[in-house]
Amino acid sequence: MLSYLLPLIWLTSGFYMEPQTSAIARLPLTTRAEMIARAHKLANHTWVCGAANLKASCSKRYVSDWKAGQHITGIPYAWGGIDGLEEFDNKLAKGLAAGGHSRYGVLACTAGIDCSGFVTYCWGMGLKNHAYSTSNLRQIAGKPKYNWFTDMKPGDVLNKAGSHVVMFTGYNPDGTINVCEASGSAARVICHKTTWSRYKGYIPLQYKAIDE
Amino acid sequence: MKRLHSVLLAIVLLAVVTSGARGGQPGPPTEVRAVPQTRAVRIPLKPLSLPDVAQSSNADAGTLLFTPGAEDELPEGPDGFDVLEDGNILITDPLRDSISMFDAQGKFKGAWKIGFAADSITALASGLILVREANTGQLHAFDREGKPRPAEGAVLPQPAEARILGEQSGTVARQGGGTIEVQFDQPGLRLLSLESLGTDAQGNTYVAMETTAGGSGSEDVNLNKYIRKYSADGKLVSEVVKVPLDYYIVPVDELRVRKGVVYQLTSDKLEVRINVWDMN
Repeated sequence: MLSYLLPLIWLTSGFYMEPQTSAIARLPLTTRAEMIARAHKLANHTWVCGAANLKASCSKRYVSDWKAGQHITGIPYAWGGIDGLEEFDNKLAKGLAAGGHSRYGVLACTAGIDCSGFVTYCWGMGLKNHAYSTSNLRQIAGKPKYNWFTDMKPGDVLNKAGSHVVMFTGYNPDGTINVCEASGSAARVICHKTTWSRYKGYIPLQYKAIDE
Repeated sequence: MKRLHSVLLAIVLLAVVTSGARGGQPGPPTEVRAVPQTRAVRIPLKPLSLPDVAQSSNADAGTLLFTPGAEDELPEGPDGFDVLEDGNILITDPLRDSISMFDAQGKFKGAWKIGFAADSITALASGLILVREANTGQLHAFDREGKPRPAEGAVLPQPAEARILGEQSGTVARQGGGTIEVQFDQPGLRLLSLESLGTDAQGNTYVAMETTAGGSGSEDVNLNKYIRKYSADGKLVSEVVKVPLDYYIVPVDELRVRKGVVYQLTSDKLEVRINVWDMN
């Protein structure tokens, strides 16, 4: 009888952890306030585009979004990029190109961040590699059970696999929402007010290692 | 006894009548006109061809450029527009650093080479046209011919304040004073958001509202969008039911109202579409 019960005791004792659970345990803990602070830092970071930052040494097809000497607020959008503030400033100083879009490919000679890189950076994930995209973000973020039209919390995201992801930062009295995102069309990280209809078909997700 | 009943009935009737008129509340429900889509202005999209990036400004001037995006990147292209008093339509063409003008039927009338990617256009009553630079958020001013004008002190008009009060109600401030009380009584649906689209010269106010049946349990964010017209005395007059939300390029400027006509910017892989509803 005991032989039947032992596995059950082991499973319920807390010693057993599913592989998924242990992977989650390795995720960096972060608070919601830290997530939003990181998002605003990326959106409010000011920089000046130098002449060297207009060209991408590894691509002949590259066309910059910027002009030499232009003062910009917000880390530039770079498809496939995941640079934080320091990494971006260092790369800019080294003469790498500021930002880039998918039409030029993922370029090692550009600096900036894309939509999924932005979200995972705000969640406190490492900058070593771009491990998560909108397609596998659910490995580190679960679908919440709450009503997302009323109970989303700052730091949760709206994700559309294979397409785009934005970070929710708050509701407005008129029922619209505020989000921060690495936007390709705005060519940089921005925070702005928007309507729900722009996120039809998106799925709300919550980072699995929030220090609430 | 009979006389007492008559007096009580009169008091009750008077109370009902006066309660509806107090504080700008809408009166008894009247028939609301459902407005079908009047027409659509269609403008062809052309995919950006990389070798032609530098020359693209002169190619296919009657089209608008787009990029399809990729995994983790949304399509990019025309996402801002406005309609002038004469019915001409201005649309951003950010991949050409220009703004294109079309007539009310969609015939190409010309392009302004503005030298930056724009994502929003606002035609002011003063005649100035404010254009927002997508990459910086900076406002630039132009006249009706596309000539640059000083933009110092230029500010975008802010929409009148709106407020959600509950699952079925909210308020929208009228430009010029007063408040519209919005009631949304559809079984199983709740009001999500309210947005003032403006008040016309006759005092009619146009309101965009988002509604939903879900919010939890359902697989993704799902909602509908309506546009309503309220008369100067706060009565709901007409309504556009279920505005299309199948954006390909996500619009920054989605809705505009000019002379009682509602315009919506949307697109698919082949064309930009301006949906038109005449609410007059």
